Amino acid sequence: MATASLRLTVGRPRRGPIGTIVETLRSIYQRRTLLLYLTMARVRQDGGSSLLGNLWLILDPAIQLAIYYFLVGIVLNRPQENFPLFLFAAILPWRWFTMALSSATESVRRHDKVMRQIAFPQIVLPLSAVAASTTSFFFGLIPLFSLYLVYPDRLTSWVLALPLVIAVQALWTLPFAIMFSALNVFLRDISSLVRHGLRLAFYVSPALFSFEKIQSVLAPYPPAHLILDLNPMAWILNAYRDLLYEGRSADWGALLAVALASIPFSLLSIYLFRRMSPSFVKVL
Amino acid sequence: MGKTPPILLSNVGVRYNMRLKKKRTLRRSITQASRFDAQGHFWALRNINLEIQDGETVAVIGGNGAGKSTLLMTLAGILAPDDGSIAVYGSIATLLHVGAGFNDELNAEENILLVGAFLGVPTSVMRKKIPGILDFAEIGEFAKSEVRTYSSGMRARLGFAVATSVDPDVLLIDEVLSTGDASFRDKARDRILELMQKARAVVYVTHDLSSAKEFCTRSIELEGGKIIADGPARPIIDSYEKKMRGKLR
Repeated sequence: MATASLRLTVGRPRRGPIGTIVETLRSIYQRRTLLLYLTMARVRQDGGSSLLGNLWLILDPAIQLAIYYFLVGIVLNRPQENFPLFLFAAILPWRWFTMALSSATESVRRHDKVMRQIAFPQIVLPLSAVAASTTSFFFGLIPLFSLYLVYPDRLTSWVLALPLVIAVQALWTLPFAIMFSALNVFLRDISSLVRHGLRLAFYVSPALFSFEKIQSVLAPYPPAHLILDLNPMAWILNAYRDLLYEGRSADWGALLAVALASIPFSLLSIYLFRRMSPSFVKVL
Repeated sequence: MGKTPPILLSNVGVRYNMRLKKKRTLRRSITQASRFDAQGHFWALRNINLEIQDGETVAVIGGNGAGKSTLLMTLAGILAPDDGSIAVYGSIATLLHVGAGFNDELNAEENILLVGAFLGVPTSVMRKKIPGILDFAEIGEFAKSEVRTYSSGMRARLGFAVATSVDPDVLLIDEVLSTGDASFRDKARDRILELMQKARAVVYVTHDLSSAKEFCTRSIELEGGKIIADGPARPIIDSYEKKMRGKLR
């Protein structure tokens, strides 16, 4: 019942990289129920089993939006036109990216007890963290789209291209989530580094300010400018802005480049994770 | 009988890379020097040759750090041997520690399905077990509330009921025979005995030597990652007890 009828494990089975990746993907498919349940549990946790329950999945992003609107729009007085929409179009995806990486990084460590008792493909742990944050993201689209009731002229048919950008972001997030979850087992600091790194990245990203503004601010500092130019998240956020706020086509070339680069990165991260996973229980 | 033994380990070794495991203290480096090989790897298990036949209940005893938990994890398929080979015929499962895999935000039913998913049990099969589990654990109306709201006793009962809902061919037990409150304990004992009888083989890791003598037909003693004694339970455990008492003086 629990595991296969015959399990013969001989010494060190040497499967090549492709074999390892295929085996991992197959194990994910075999344990898709586990992946689903872990995701549901995580979403439930994020949504809160408090009084307002699942409403928090919508309220949380909305409140964050309100705070930044106040901070940047009113206090710092740097508003773009229709600032709430400008902000939210980038903050929501950034929230997704942050949540996915933060929860994925801790996901393996958190399950140390069950890993020591049951054999299961540990890769479902970071994957479920990403899946759960993706679900929260979709809930966040509700308040985002309700902003179009306030700014109806900003709504164009370009919005329909949104799923493409979402797919690219998901692909881009995966390898980071998988790698950080594995590395965090061996180096506990990864968790803090990720948290602070994301925070820093947020403030220099085009999320709060326009891309042009950031560019002009960072122009006297060439290294920082380079980071911005080469940062695929910046391109992705710009794409969201283009479709949702500017109502124009996004830079599909850049997005395609990100997507194509993400595929080998994802496969590599799966391979590395699988190679490292036998050591998890030995370290925890 | 001609049937293949459920468990067969041939020259199994499991090593830890000590650069990863920060338990490398000076004291250990000296006292356990023999377990480190030339590259500085620490062999938690070395040259393990073990064949467990149908109907055997094997107690695994030994001091801390002897390799007992490592052996269980290797049997359970959690650790792959770095040396040698291991064959397990039939399904194998560890009697889970209470609450293993539980998520506080889910209710009893959902947690049962979650643990089932961890174990790889098909949902349809697990669903059929739910009423039996809830009944055994005496959860009552709390079945629909989150496990967060349960008392520690309820959690223990539910955890135990789920852990013993598995019915594997090979049962691994890691120090779990004393759980729950007194009134539940008899029920728990009976359930475990039932499982032990149904299984083709049982491996029981414990420090509780009296229960080991009570339940087991055979015992092996681990020390320094190797099997230093292997035979009928009573004499092996008795001499181990004597050795331990001798050390305390």
